[in-house]
Amino acid sequence: MPLDTSTYNLALLRVDGRRWNELRDQRGQMGVQPSADGSAYLQMGNTKIQAIVAGPNERDASKTNSSASTAATAGGLGATVAVGITVAPFATVDRKRRGRNDKRLQEMQTTLAAALAAAVQGQAYGPRSTIHVSLHVLSQDGSLLAALVNAASLALVDAGVPMTDYLVACTAGSTSSYAAADEAADPLLDLNTQEEQELPFLTLATLGASDKVVAMVCESRVQLARLEGMMATAADGCKGVRDFLDRVVREKGEIMVQEGAVGRGEVVSSMDLD
Amino acid sequence: MPREAEPSQNEKDFVLKAVREGHRLDARALDQFRPLDLKFGDQYGVADVTLGKTRILAKVTAEVTVPYTDRPFDGIFTITTELSPMASPAFEVNRPTETEVLLSRLLEKTVRRSNALDTESLCLVAGQKCWSIRVDLHVLSHDGNLIDASCLAVVAALRHFRKPDTSIEGDTLTVYTPAEREPVPLSWLHSPFCITFSFFGTVSVGEDEEKDIWLLDTTRLEEQLRVSSCTISMNKHGEICQVAKPGGAPVEAVTVLQCSNLALQKVKDLSDFVDQKLAEDSKRRNKGGLLAELSAENAR
Amino acid sequence: MPITILQPSLAPPPKPRNDDASDSDSEGGADLEGDIAMGRPAKRARTQDSSIMTPGEIITDDPQWMRGHGTYVIPGAQSNTILSSVAGTLAKTNKLLSVRPLRARYTPEIGDLVVGRIVEVQAKRWRVDVGGTLLAQLPLSAINLPGGIQRRRTETDELQIRTFFSEGELLVAEVQQLYNDGAAVLHTRSLKYGKLRNGVFMSVAGVGGGGGVVRARRQAFTLDISGTDEVSGSEKIDVVLGVNGYIWISKHIEGEGAAAESSGPGITRIEESVGLNVYSSQNDIIPVDTMREIARVRGVITALVENGLRVDEEMVIKGYQEAVEMAKEEPDSADTLWLGGERGKRLTNALVGR
Repeated sequence: MPLDTSTYNLALLRVDGRRWNELRDQRGQMGVQPSADGSAYLQMGNTKIQAIVAGPNERDASKTNSSASTAATAGGLGATVAVGITVAPFATVDRKRRGRNDKRLQEMQTTLAAALAAAVQGQAYGPRSTIHVSLHVLSQDGSLLAALVNAASLALVDAGVPMTDYLVACTAGSTSSYAAADEAADPLLDLNTQEEQELPFLTLATLGASDKVVAMVCESRVQLARLEGMMATAADGCKGVRDFLDRVVREKGEIMVQEGAVGRGEVVSSMDLD
Repeated sequence: MPREAEPSQNEKDFVLKAVREGHRLDARALDQFRPLDLKFGDQYGVADVTLGKTRILAKVTAEVTVPYTDRPFDGIFTITTELSPMASPAFEVNRPTETEVLLSRLLEKTVRRSNALDTESLCLVAGQKCWSIRVDLHVLSHDGNLIDASCLAVVAALRHFRKPDTSIEGDTLTVYTPAEREPVPLSWLHSPFCITFSFFGTVSVGEDEEKDIWLLDTTRLEEQLRVSSCTISMNKHGEICQVAKPGGAPVEAVTVLQCSNLALQKVKDLSDFVDQKLAEDSKRRNKGGLLAELSAENAR
Repeated sequence: MPITILQPSLAPPPKPRNDDASDSDSEGGADLEGDIAMGRPAKRARTQDSSIMTPGEIITDDPQWMRGHGTYVIPGAQSNTILSSVAGTLAKTNKLLSVRPLRARYTPEIGDLVVGRIVEVQAKRWRVDVGGTLLAQLPLSAINLPGGIQRRRTETDELQIRTFFSEGELLVAEVQQLYNDGAAVLHTRSLKYGKLRNGVFMSVAGVGGGGGVVRARRQAFTLDISGTDEVSGSEKIDVVLGVNGYIWISKHIEGEGAAAESSGPGITRIEESVGLNVYSSQNDIIPVDTMREIARVRGVITALVENGLRVDEEMVIKGYQEAVEMAKEEPDSADTLWLGGERGKRLTNALVGR
């Protein structure tokens, strides 16, 4: 379905009524799967992801399911992160069944495994242990890779895996396609499927709120001059996502402290100089 | 699966320390490519790229087939990659390694998705007949930087390729042999090239400031030691076709931007290089030029 | 899709940003929820008002503190900043700062009493799943031989290693030693430890996560079930609460089992008491009443875990008594053993006095 993006210039509102720098509605939940070591459910607009973490435990990643997951080693001699992605047949409108050997999914698995390995402090576990992250795409409406990264990140926090910071990701696009070399093009944040099909966009994953780029994927033609604006917008989106994930974790943690499931934390202050 | 031997710890330390101090084992500058050579075969559509010890052969073939039902106005364009055990013992026949999947995805995104080849021009009869262009990529020797070299080979081979001329009269489609009509080049829109940056951590510059170290055109040893990489595909007009930094150690956003600007320069160099080689080749094929062809003199 | 455009109006002026924590210029900035002004908390400043630490949060930059588990310092940097690497609560031990994760897998410590399952039999040792990040090892030399004989392990012992423990069997053991990578070495050289039989296994994996086994003075104890009307005679149940979250509930046999530590004989009499059947995989006959009470204990522990309470001797004993009382109140009901859902809530509420 062709989308008339020319309307953007009239009201500066996007097809779903957002402005250029607005993220979609986000919802997140930790510990949705009691039997797993860590789990999370994340919703970015209509993209819905369920992430399950098993491990770290001692199980050979290549032995269990070689084609279904891809592994990357965290921090030199550390644990291995293995990622498997399943896209539910009902995730998209056209109800298509994807094979195990879909190269696009394999590439995404590789990217995710290597990106998560950069954030996980795997040295704590030793090289023989593996962290299995399995991601299920329940509904797909743009920013898929970004949502997968964020869901995996939340699930790893739930599993208590030590990480340098949250690994967060966001997409950013540019309002006009490459045909018009319009320098006045606006960057857009957090694209949905309609916008992704129409506009050039990139996915950026950063380590927490810093400007450190862990992964970056751009699959469309775009002018070099627009890259900077898109990256800056995406990095800002990442900050927003980080704050959101942080809030989910804190809320969950505070509830657990109130229920007495975990002991109350102590506070470090400079007065403790005894 | 046979795995590549990991470099020893001493070797690693040596190479990394040298790189941090701005030296490479083969005395190149950090952003310098190895000697690059491009040869075309006697047939159209064969390109042989040599980059240091990495050697890649690309061969283009064309045949007339039925287009896909969901895209009746488009021709078919496929790129297949094969990493055989010949290139490295880590590669096995019939089992795509991660390297191979990533390589073929990158080429696909760089050349196919960026519309470098106009697939609509490959259509002969809508919904019934179209050209199927297939690029076969063979890695003959693997000494690092497969992606950049492969992309160059694919682009050069496609631009060198000539497909048989055709004509349609009424319901009959005629494909002419090279003797009947001169073959025609593909409808080529732009030439994207990949530039891969390999990162090697940071060095501190002054107080509290850190700089990412990166190398261009890494050898296999350097590739085994890098902490992350970023492949930027661009054409000489400054249009990015694809950027891929698949995870790995984090890199400052500013560095990525600097890299993309440098990539543009390098892409222009590569683009000129391919143009020049293509011009030389056509001169070689067309000895004497138009005059020789027009001359009625008999060679006998 | 038709798009209706109402009266085109001027572009709205850029929204004033109320977020002074963000260092982005006016060009950037992401809004989470559209126009709703939400005072997004400044990330670094929250340490004081929230007791929860999250990954990447700065705990302190005071050089007097040392970093413990769940924290890290930026490698290579000269600063003394200690950051959190997990989500959890802060714990101080003198000058050592550590963050206890909300939930994590079991990390072995020397002296822990664990319940494990044999997953692999090797030439001179077993590999045991104790729910940790790596498999634990149980060397052939670290078990008691049947009859309590003290001697070197010979090749004959190696050949019949499966007669002691084979794949899938459960045991209770103690962590004797830790390797650098965190893997544990177990031993069963005590009458308290060894193969488990006559009971039921359950797993309340990990630490934290709302409930779970806590390290306590006593991990194994005997429950008297003769208090219930239905049980005739004086039957007892052994409960082993593995620190790793694996639990074993079984019929009590006099002079055997993990709870027999106090009455157990000294090393001099070990030959007499390590019977020849310690490595038997055959269950004894268990009376139906005992089985029912075993199931009741299991239900109590499940209810404790589901309602986020800690699992230790005190809670299990109190919980069991409460469950028996609850069963007495409704003698007609057949499913008094089931302690899930509402019943579980009632039980735990009674326990903590809510």
